[in-house]
Amino acid sequence: MSQLKVFSIKKNIHEDNKKVANETREYLKSHNAFLINIMSSPGSGKTTTLVATINGLKEEMKIGVIEADVDSDVDAQAVQNAGAKAVQMHTGGLCHLDATMTRGGIDQLEIEDLDLVFLENIGNLICPVGYDTGAMKNVAILSVPEGDDKPLKYPQIFGKVDLLIVSKIDVMDYFDFSMECLEERVRKLNKDIKIIPISSKTGEGIEDWLNWIREQVKEMS
Amino acid sequence: MHELGIVFEVIKIVDGVVKENSLTKVDKIVLEIGQLSQAIPRFIEECYPAAVGGTDYEETKLEIIPLPANGQCNLCGEIYNIITHRKICPSCDMNDFRLISGQEFNIKEIVAY
Repeated sequence: MSQLKVFSIKKNIHEDNKKVANETREYLKSHNAFLINIMSSPGSGKTTTLVATINGLKEEMKIGVIEADVDSDVDAQAVQNAGAKAVQMHTGGLCHLDATMTRGGIDQLEIEDLDLVFLENIGNLICPVGYDTGAMKNVAILSVPEGDDKPLKYPQIFGKVDLLIVSKIDVMDYFDFSMECLEERVRKLNKDIKIIPISSKTGEGIEDWLNWIREQVKEMS
Repeated sequence: MHELGIVFEVIKIVDGVVKENSLTKVDKIVLEIGQLSQAIPRFIEECYPAAVGGTDYEETKLEIIPLPANGQCNLCGEIYNIITHRKICPSCDMNDFRLISGQEFNIKEIVAY
């Protein structure tokens, strides 16, 4: 038996993921498609927000959606009915999407004729944060019923995203939710973050969100 | 629980090193896991046998070196564990630090022939 030797590797486990994510960004850029990764808890209104977004933008952009869920295709149906091209990814119990899975979704979507792609990540405030998916921008949604203390409990996600949507503001009166408190807590983690309060039900704030998307897409091209 | 996926990723990288260096057997894989990384060492250890069972790495041992979540105080320079001190500097009581370690998840080395 030959001698045991130590091979120093010193390699970060996420290095390969980062590489795939960077390749995805390059690929999307070369096709003029903008990818936005949307993360939140289950039930915060990701799909409802997306449906409102598609309705507001479908006349000016071709939109695709990658739906990631552990199971079912109800979300893909919903965004498809709204007029977007959709693919459903099933992670089969896995709690996040990595760059390779995202790339699989992008290839399935056939992005050649798309301007804007949303990745609706698994409903989870923890695991998806650690994985670069290849998106150009990362967005988190926090709904009013979840409470203004979420940034204290799950700081990583609020520290990472470019934009925070506060959804379901139409029910604000029924909850002890303080927008000022939330903003103060979020800014402590992420001073550059943009915060947009919306209600998909009343339409309040939706135009601000659509304008943010328009700016991002314009900036890229 | 995403540790199983992480272990598969580790094996994939190790496998690359094995092929590159034409190694025949890996005796041990050494990981460095930061206290703030998304993996919990106990879960990694628990799912490791399931991940390597029936593969070339079935007999490969796993060693985990935990790395502390250390921050350095921006005001007085003290280095302290931000988890045990709940982010507050034990020397000057301020909450203004720069993270210096704890987010790592590295494959440090492998022992092989």
